[in-house]
Amino acid sequence: MSGVVLDLTRIEVAQLIDLVGQFAELVDGAPSMEDPAIERLTPDVYPDDAEASREFRAVTRSDLLRRRASDARAVLEGLPRDAQDPSDDAFAPVEITLDPEHVEAWLRTLAALRLVVASRLGIVTEEDGYDPEDPRYGVYEWLGYRLESLIQAADAF
Amino acid sequence: MSLATPDLDHDLRLDESATADIPWQTVVWNDPVNLMSYVVRVFRQYFGYSLDRATQLMLAVHHDGHAIVAEGAREQMELHAQAMHDYGLWATVRKAPAA
Repeated sequence: MSGVVLDLTRIEVAQLIDLVGQFAELVDGAPSMEDPAIERLTPDVYPDDAEASREFRAVTRSDLLRRRASDARAVLEGLPRDAQDPSDDAFAPVEITLDPEHVEAWLRTLAALRLVVASRLGIVTEEDGYDPEDPRYGVYEWLGYRLESLIQAADAF
Repeated sequence: MSLATPDLDHDLRLDESATADIPWQTVVWNDPVNLMSYVVRVFRQYFGYSLDRATQLMLAVHHDGHAIVAEGAREQMELHAQAMHDYGLWATVRKAPAA
């Protein structure tokens, strides 16, 4: 085996290109803007000490977001563009092989992307409800399913 | 110079023992989004913990709302918290509560 194999379909690849592209734009954007999703990706490290939290964030946030953008680009580079052709069968299989270094970028990106979608859906604490009719909820569930299967494949590798 | 040296040494020793007495902690908090299998994998990959240890910590996060994943010098705990944030985990740093 030369790497961790991920079995997707064409429609999933197209969906990932869209979502990971949007994610890359989000983390590449002005980090000073108030966005709960960005806050979730760069949480307060000292919840009881606003000043120390601010200092830590000032030093680490832009680097952290740069690493998220770099992970996202690594994922995008590994996604075949021709799979987006709408004339093809949407459910045709697409096999993607990831080397160990890319596995980590994929795991971090899928996990971070899920956090962003969860933030948009208002899922922040265990008590938060959600609207199952919201189409983004389907995306959230699907990302969880794909992340879970990638973890299993990576753990078995 | 020779007069100042012993005092400097003395101060340095005092500082070291002061920080050693009050360890800092990296704490990971429960969230409804991150998958249990993912949290276990992060603890194994990053800290090099065994599957058992990583699973225990993940369950502690899940059931108790948080778990102390590392203890030591403040700077080191900040690095760990940053690494946890890189993985999307919700981590904070705090001074260890007095025993």
